[in-house]
Amino acid sequence: MVLNTSRNKEKNEIEEKNNISQKINNSGDDIVIETVKLNLWYDDNHVLKDINLKFKKNKITAIIGPSGCGKSTLIRCFNRMNDVIEGCKIEGKVLFNGENLYDKNADVRLNRKKIGMIFQKPNPFPMSIIDNMTYGPKIHKVEDPKTLEKIAEKCLNRAVLWDEVNDRLEESAMSLSGGQQQRLCIARALSVEPEILLMDEPTASLDPIATQKIEELILELKHEWTVIIVTHNMQQAARISDYTAFMYLGELIEYGDTTQIFEKPQQKLTENYITGRFG
Amino acid sequence: MASETSLEEKFFIEQFKPIELKDRDKQIKILLFVFASLATIFVFLIIVFLFSSGLSFFGEVPLTDFLFGTNWYPSAGFFGAAPIIIGTFLVTFGAIIIAVPLGLATAIFIAEIAPPKIRKILKLSVEILAGIPSIVYGFFGIMFLNRFLRDLFGLSHGNMWLSGSLILAVMSLPTIVSVCEDAIRAVPNLYRDASYAMGATKWQTIRKVVLPAAISGITAAIILGMGRALGETMAMMLVIGNCKIFPEPITNLFSCIAVITSTIGLGFGPTEKGSIEQRSLIALGIVLFIITLLINILSNIILTRIKKKFTGDVKKRRVKKLQKSIFFIELKQFYQRYKKLITRGLILFFIGWVLYTWIGLLYSLLICLGLIGAIYGIKRLSTVHQQRFWHTIILVSSIFSVFIVGLIISYIVINGLPAFLKPGFLTDYPRDAGREGGILPAIIGTLQLTLGSIAFALLFGIPAGIYLSEYAKENKITKIIRAGIDNLNGTPSIVFALFGVVFFVYPLTTAFGWGRSLLAGILTLGLMILPTIIRTTEEAVKAIPQPFREGSLALGSSKWQGISKIVIPAAIPGIVTGSVLSMGRSAGETAPVMFTACLASSRFISFSLIEPVMALTYHLYRLSGDVAGALENAAGTALALLLIVLILYGIAFVIRNRYEKKKQW
Repeated sequence: MVLNTSRNKEKNEIEEKNNISQKINNSGDDIVIETVKLNLWYDDNHVLKDINLKFKKNKITAIIGPSGCGKSTLIRCFNRMNDVIEGCKIEGKVLFNGENLYDKNADVRLNRKKIGMIFQKPNPFPMSIIDNMTYGPKIHKVEDPKTLEKIAEKCLNRAVLWDEVNDRLEESAMSLSGGQQQRLCIARALSVEPEILLMDEPTASLDPIATQKIEELILELKHEWTVIIVTHNMQQAARISDYTAFMYLGELIEYGDTTQIFEKPQQKLTENYITGRFG
Repeated sequence: MASETSLEEKFFIEQFKPIELKDRDKQIKILLFVFASLATIFVFLIIVFLFSSGLSFFGEVPLTDFLFGTNWYPSAGFFGAAPIIIGTFLVTFGAIIIAVPLGLATAIFIAEIAPPKIRKILKLSVEILAGIPSIVYGFFGIMFLNRFLRDLFGLSHGNMWLSGSLILAVMSLPTIVSVCEDAIRAVPNLYRDASYAMGATKWQTIRKVVLPAAISGITAAIILGMGRALGETMAMMLVIGNCKIFPEPITNLFSCIAVITSTIGLGFGPTEKGSIEQRSLIALGIVLFIITLLINILSNIILTRIKKKFTGDVKKRRVKKLQKSIFFIELKQFYQRYKKLITRGLILFFIGWVLYTWIGLLYSLLICLGLIGAIYGIKRLSTVHQQRFWHTIILVSSIFSVFIVGLIISYIVINGLPAFLKPGFLTDYPRDAGREGGILPAIIGTLQLTLGSIAFALLFGIPAGIYLSEYAKENKITKIIRAGIDNLNGTPSIVFALFGVVFFVYPLTTAFGWGRSLLAGILTLGLMILPTIIRTTEEAVKAIPQPFREGSLALGSSKWQGISKIVIPAAIPGIVTGSVLSMGRSAGETAPVMFTACLASSRFISFSLIEPVMALTYHLYRLSGDVAGALENAAGTALALLLIVLILYGIAFVIRNRYEKKKQW
């Protein structure tokens, strides 16, 4: 009996997932990133299980779930940052504009340039602000000082940081406040002209006011970029995202419109998480 | 029932006397403080002793004559130390130029590129290199390197600047590699992630993010390597020829040359107590001491700045100061813009000039043009090819480092084995000045000196270490004590030798007529390893988690009870590891025992503290320097010495590993 019910449950879940992907499929064809049966192991630890997800262009998609559910690991798959970790094994596909990122011939560095990332802890390099801003263009062979300056100014402006730092570009980036540092990191990510921005709990180490500024910035960025944000903070997901994916123990449980997920979750697990019964 | 409980209660009340315990705590604290201060007092004694002898010397010979005079001939009354001081810098400079690129490349390979297994092998090789006693390097230098270079360049002899720099480069390599590696590892992974996430290659990340972030640590590594090279005595006494002249031209690597340490080491033996010749050598010691003191202070400042770098605003203030004048801003902007060009130009000019003095203008220009071409050629390469190019260079450098270790070890083993396998080599007395017979008295002497010195150092070092970690408040006195200990740590062994003679040998001779003695040697060596013991004790005790202490205090124990019953037992493996490492260092030292404990004529075993002894290191020095035709036995002695030292290091390694595995917190 027990076995049967659990099997039924599984079936239901699989059907549900198919529904999800169909739903998103039907809702439009401007998909920038799509994962197909994505599985990931750290040594023997099965961290991501058969993830099928589609991310829409110029939208903010939030990935939520309790700690250790694999949400950070998932977005690190999109720019292949997991390659750096020893003992990491990946199966399945991640399609970026229709091309598999894990293809043998894929240019990892070019794709990383196109898919920028913001990390949990602000990590400006311990150099001057301007050096932080020109680092990216320089490694991609932009050498003209005038161009570099222009890029820096443009991106700092977009990250709403220019007015605060334009008179002290030569100072160490470490002298900025935490929120400023994170905005600098966003500006730095923009400096190599990405199409997508991955954000791994970008406000986790910031105070509420700095968090609010970053959130406003993310909403602003949506017009030109696709944003995928991992967050611990459910209110944040509800506030800023268009779509929300809920993950639990390495599986995608539910994916849909943010309003739908928060108001009418279809899965019991999602409901329990959102209403704070665990997490 | 009721009576039993009351009995127990009574039992407790009688035993528990908190006030007495508190008093004892205070007494113990004072006692430990005295021990901790002793180390500092020794530093001050060394400084006072050096400068008092120096002052009387400079009363007779003007300072300017000493520093700028070019003629050094003490027995004839000429005390111009300029060739020696310049020589010291030249040899050190040559060593650093070789060792820094090699060491940095090896460190990058170990920290960033190598797979874990290869990393272990490399680290082990570097540690072995650090463990080889300096006299063994000297032996290798004079027997192999000098002859090899002589034949390679077709010279009449190989005692020259180049040999000295090469040997010193190898000797300072371990310091540079390990400090650089630590600095590179200290760079948080966050920065690497950020760089990779923007599409940088591994090499771009290393070159543009990791190395700039680690630059202060790398600077400290270079400075510490210089300190190591400057203070080296025994190898220099053997390989550089010790002519107090300027190389002609000044870049002539084949010139015979002298350094401060070798001049003291070779000259001090025959001088008479208090004579002007002796005091002139002590004056040289002052110069060396001041140089190493500056180096220590500088590297300490830099290393403490690293910690601030990743957290706070180091640069901020400086910028504001400079902003006062527009001229400065412009100058700075000009420098910022052309920084790369200026530094590269200067380096290129230097290389060109050196080449010019060697091979003439035409070839020098050609080579420089070739270099410029090569730099631009590399820049034109695609990022992937650039990465491949630099990774190849780093790999080759690392392989070369391992090759050096292999070369030295195999040379010693191959040449030492015949003597080693001779019947009685380890159990016989030396005959014919050491050419024949065995090395038993030297082995016994080395053991006596090593055990004695470690006993002395533990006696003073452990209480001092415990005081510093458990009781010391971070105030001025603690700072002074720490600075004293650190500086004692960086002081060259030849300075300890001078101190040992004047402070232990002479007073003991005046008082009891002992002359050189085992006791004086033990005290000198013990003083030398004292700072290491203090530091390792401090670190080991600090590593014990705070809850252990709190758990003990919460039961009503006194502070000292908690420390003595809980903390120290848990810290013992760490302390033992440090002690065994120090024993290895003590067994491999020559300079401190050369004038204090060893006599060339002591060929027999003595178990008396007041008799002179023979030590393996000094025996090896005599066989490779003074006694001709003793290659076989010298190599055997080198092998024996190497074995003792490496076995001690091996033991320390095993203890550390087992302890790490067993550790349960």
